[in-house]
Amino acid sequence: MSEPLSYTITGFLPWSLTWLLPYLGALVLSLAYIAGFKGERLYGLVSVASILLSALISTLAAYRVFTDNAIYAKASVAWFPWLGVTFGTYIDGLGAVMALVVSWLSFLIAVYSLKYMEGDWGFPRYFIIFTFFVASMQLVVLADNLILLFIGWEGTGLASYALIGHWYTDEEDKWVGVPGRRALGKPMYFEPSHSAVRAVLFTRVGDVGLVIGIAAIYLASGTLVIPELASTATGWLAELASKGILPAILLVFTLGALAKSAQFPFHEWLVTAMTGPTPVSALIHAATMVKAGVYFMLRFAPILIAGAIALGTQAVVEGLRDYFLIVAGLGAITAFALATMALVSNELKLILAYSTASQLGYMFIAAASAGLLLGFAGMEEVASSVMAGLSHLVSHAVFKAALFLVAGWLIHVAHSRFIDRMGGYARYMKLTAISLWLAGLSLAGIPPLSGFFSKELVIHYAEEAGVSWIFFLAVVTAGLTAAYTIRMILRVMHLEPLEADSHVKAHEAPKLMLIPYLVLAIASLALGVGWSYTSGLLSKASELTIGLVEKAKLSVELTGVTGVVIALVLGSIGSVYYLYSIARVDFRDLIERNTLARYLHDFLFDRWYINSIYYIVIVGSFSYAAYAMYALDSIIDTIYHAGVPMLGALGAMALRVLHRGRTDYYLAMYAYFISLALLLLYLFWGR
Amino acid sequence: MIMDYPLLWITLIIPLIVSLIVLLVRIENVRSTAYVGGFTLLLPAFIATYYAITGALSEGVFDPLQIDMENRGLGRFMLYIDGLSAPIVIGISIVTGFVSIYSVKYMLHRIDEMSSRGEPPPSFGVYYVLYVVFSISMLGMAYSTNLAEFYIFLELSLLSSFALIAYYGYGDRRRIALLYFIWTHVAGALFLAGVLYYGFKSGTFDVIKIVEGLPAYVSPFLEKGYQIAAWLIIIGLFIKMAVFGVHMWLPYAHAEAPTPVSALLSPNLIGIAGYALARFALPLFPSVFETYQWGFVALSFITIIYGGLVALRQSDFKRFLAYSSVSQMGYMLLGIFTLTAYGIGGSMLHYLSHAVGKAVLFMVAGVFIAELHGLRAIDKMGGLARRYPLIAAVSLLGFMHLVGIPPALGMWSEILITFGLVKAVPLAGVGSVVLLSSLVIVAFGVTAAYSFVTMRRIFFGPLKQQGTGESLDDFKGSILFIAVLGVFFFIAITPFSEALRTASTVLSSLVGGG
Repeated sequence: MSEPLSYTITGFLPWSLTWLLPYLGALVLSLAYIAGFKGERLYGLVSVASILLSALISTLAAYRVFTDNAIYAKASVAWFPWLGVTFGTYIDGLGAVMALVVSWLSFLIAVYSLKYMEGDWGFPRYFIIFTFFVASMQLVVLADNLILLFIGWEGTGLASYALIGHWYTDEEDKWVGVPGRRALGKPMYFEPSHSAVRAVLFTRVGDVGLVIGIAAIYLASGTLVIPELASTATGWLAELASKGILPAILLVFTLGALAKSAQFPFHEWLVTAMTGPTPVSALIHAATMVKAGVYFMLRFAPILIAGAIALGTQAVVEGLRDYFLIVAGLGAITAFALATMALVSNELKLILAYSTASQLGYMFIAAASAGLLLGFAGMEEVASSVMAGLSHLVSHAVFKAALFLVAGWLIHVAHSRFIDRMGGYARYMKLTAISLWLAGLSLAGIPPLSGFFSKELVIHYAEEAGVSWIFFLAVVTAGLTAAYTIRMILRVMHLEPLEADSHVKAHEAPKLMLIPYLVLAIASLALGVGWSYTSGLLSKASELTIGLVEKAKLSVELTGVTGVVIALVLGSIGSVYYLYSIARVDFRDLIERNTLARYLHDFLFDRWYINSIYYIVIVGSFSYAAYAMYALDSIIDTIYHAGVPMLGALGAMALRVLHRGRTDYYLAMYAYFISLALLLLYLFWGR
Repeated sequence: MIMDYPLLWITLIIPLIVSLIVLLVRIENVRSTAYVGGFTLLLPAFIATYYAITGALSEGVFDPLQIDMENRGLGRFMLYIDGLSAPIVIGISIVTGFVSIYSVKYMLHRIDEMSSRGEPPPSFGVYYVLYVVFSISMLGMAYSTNLAEFYIFLELSLLSSFALIAYYGYGDRRRIALLYFIWTHVAGALFLAGVLYYGFKSGTFDVIKIVEGLPAYVSPFLEKGYQIAAWLIIIGLFIKMAVFGVHMWLPYAHAEAPTPVSALLSPNLIGIAGYALARFALPLFPSVFETYQWGFVALSFITIIYGGLVALRQSDFKRFLAYSSVSQMGYMLLGIFTLTAYGIGGSMLHYLSHAVGKAVLFMVAGVFIAELHGLRAIDKMGGLARRYPLIAAVSLLGFMHLVGIPPALGMWSEILITFGLVKAVPLAGVGSVVLLSSLVIVAFGVTAAYSFVTMRRIFFGPLKQQGTGESLDDFKGSILFIAVLGVFFFIAITPFSEALRTASTVLSSLVGGG
């Protein structure tokens, strides 16, 4: 096993303020809400201030970590001593980078929200939950133990639930999907309150798995503290492997991450989560919460791999390979499947949502590839693969947040979520157009934007991992990504709207909204242009991350594969440009006339029918079961409350027959029962 | 440890005295008296928390006033709190305390309503006396160390709750009160028969004794025919707990009781049967628990899933909550029958989280009944968050307790019960992991499903009941207090951890677990 990571133990404060402050902010705001304060200013101010402070402390912490040592800020008193749970903040390289991304993005998006949510009837509630979310997300990435991590995890889920259903009165303009559209008989349009329930139930399935996994690992290791789990990894890995349950338990443990990060087959909730206000989609459903699952993988994959290397037993190595293969496979399927859906979608935020899940698939591929390298590659390769996942996480967080924030403005301008009603906005809003192009090209993977580098790294390690179909899907997805991105940008910025809305007056966004996305778009350029610096920082983070403790190699080399990918991306951009801008193919007409095209379109547009299949199979069987149980309940009710009384009545009737009021008859009965009783007594006790 | 003063007896007697005063005061002063009564009912929670902080709870705390019935063959009647009963005591205490305040507006409204229909019920004073008798008899059960003592309190709780349903209930209240009476007395009779068999054979009804100044369980009961006694007691408690198959009385009684009484019946009273299972049945009959462990675990899962699925189809809010209680009892049962310290401790904590969560939800149902003209039909609700934002928020908290989402106390019980289950199940091979995970996911998933689906049906979507917004008065404030206390105990779990661990470990060591 490589050197265990050293860390400096400090007091609980100040570093725990990273997550404690936003919690306090949320608490103060809740009390203000109960006390009846209505003013928007208070809610906005407290929220933004507590997030900004958290960001500043995170920055300071990151500076300490990078210049000195990892930090373990621990409360001196245990919280739940029975399980050895304390309040502790653990900041290593990975945690520091995550906290920076989470807190600063949250800050920018909170500022954007001030303007975006202005005058909304749920303004106070929005900022209470928003702040609560930031605290929970910081807790996820900085928790020192699994229970705290779980608490943050559930907190983000709760906030996501509440914000997806923010406009819970379900007006039609807040829906997702085309009203009235059905696939396989199931509705494909979703109200905010419906989407909220979907989100909470999908992730609940995973979270219960997470709890089971935590239990199994705790019972095998005797600890819930993450650094201790790393140092005892050899022991509990061997124990789980000896029972033949290592990959199974790890998969159950990872169910939470898969569901949270909307990986196939849990991706459905993220799509409909777009009913939430757009800044929420940007923060929770693109930049941070959905990354919690990726963070989980980046956190635990190194611990598992380092443990397996130290242990060197065949059973553990094979168990881990099985596990990582499944995770990487699910990532690849998600990346590909959701990218195909994005190709045909006609809702701006839906395109971005599909794209998010698809890109998260990339991150899962990278993290799991690290595990697939186990056995034939050194720790440096492993660390680089994990860090490729983190690189993509960071660059995606930046450009996708920018894309969503731009989308928020465009939807506002168009008064519609459908891209067919948008178009030609570039001439009214230059800076917004530039932001969209920068962030979009980063998503498409064009050098020198950051998205190019991180995606190249992911694809590189997918190749190294040696599972050809996963690698193949990763490459194909790169092409699809470029296609849907460019289609989207051309559609909303440069082409004329398909369904013109004459009274829409487009203009540039107000500063409070413009600046956040402009900053993010420029950041995505800067991170790429200065990739040597960015990668140096991430490489240093790798050295400071538990389980890795190696410098990662994050420079992108021009190999044959890189050439192919760049060619594919450029080719697909070129074809989209040709089809939409030069040939001006009328796809809507094509779908009308061509049966095959229509089938293909419907298949992709209705999300491979997966949603409908879930409703038919899972929801259907549960509602049948509920119906059957309900019927059973009526039967039980009838038996007890009609059947038993009826038997009683019949018995009474029968007994009444015996009582005829004749003395001789009673005497005979008396003699009969006395002899029966005596006989019984003799039979049982007489001998 | 033995207390310096008979504090536990005091917590039983003072509320009773206050309630008798309510009988005498004029109606304008009812509110302040109910406040005092509510406060005195909160005392046990303070006492339990105090001893938890001093650490005495780990050892167990006795009331100095003990009734010696040895010469009558009944053993000693003592009052006692330890880590196992602390969550129960706190649960009863905070729910009965705040519901006492909540009762004023609700019951005055109910009494008016019944009077205007020409069937005036007994006065508020009578209600309040019965209410307090009901409350303190539940506290007495949680304090008991002796089965005869427990039964006396049990009988008292049944009679008082029966009268409350019969006088102030909804629907066909006399029939339902009778139904409740018969069912619970069948349960009581079975339980009593088992207890008497144990008592006469062993010469005492004690389960916890003081040995050399420390509390100790009596040795397991292994006389001839002990299995009969065990089954009588277990089945009696199962009926009280409304486990699947013998749950049928619960939806009637809990749905049609006056709402403050539902808020006590549903989480508090039935859960005590689960507590008694761990406190009395397990130490007396450990071999029965071991032998039939997996059957009982199966029954727990059936109860959880069955109750949850039937709840999903209910159209009446209170009946929905009643089925949810059936389902929640499955969790308590599951925790106990893991026969591990985690599971047993988790089960007791679940009593408290369910008490908080379900009390909040029943009280919310009561708000709609009192303020929206008896509205109980879920289909007619919809969008109520727009009118009742605060009530919507506390309901969400209530549901979070049932589902186990932090910052609700329910998270701790969910985690402990799962830990216990994973420890109990011998995991070997992929099949066992898949089976266990799917069962747990389905069970917990059904709970989440009915919670969040119902949350949506009641509070979200277009608003169906027009009218003015909510005003925060003591009626709704009492709900808020219980909900906040649920979060408080989620954070302030620390002092209880050690006591709960000790008490649960003692029990699990009796059944060979850890």
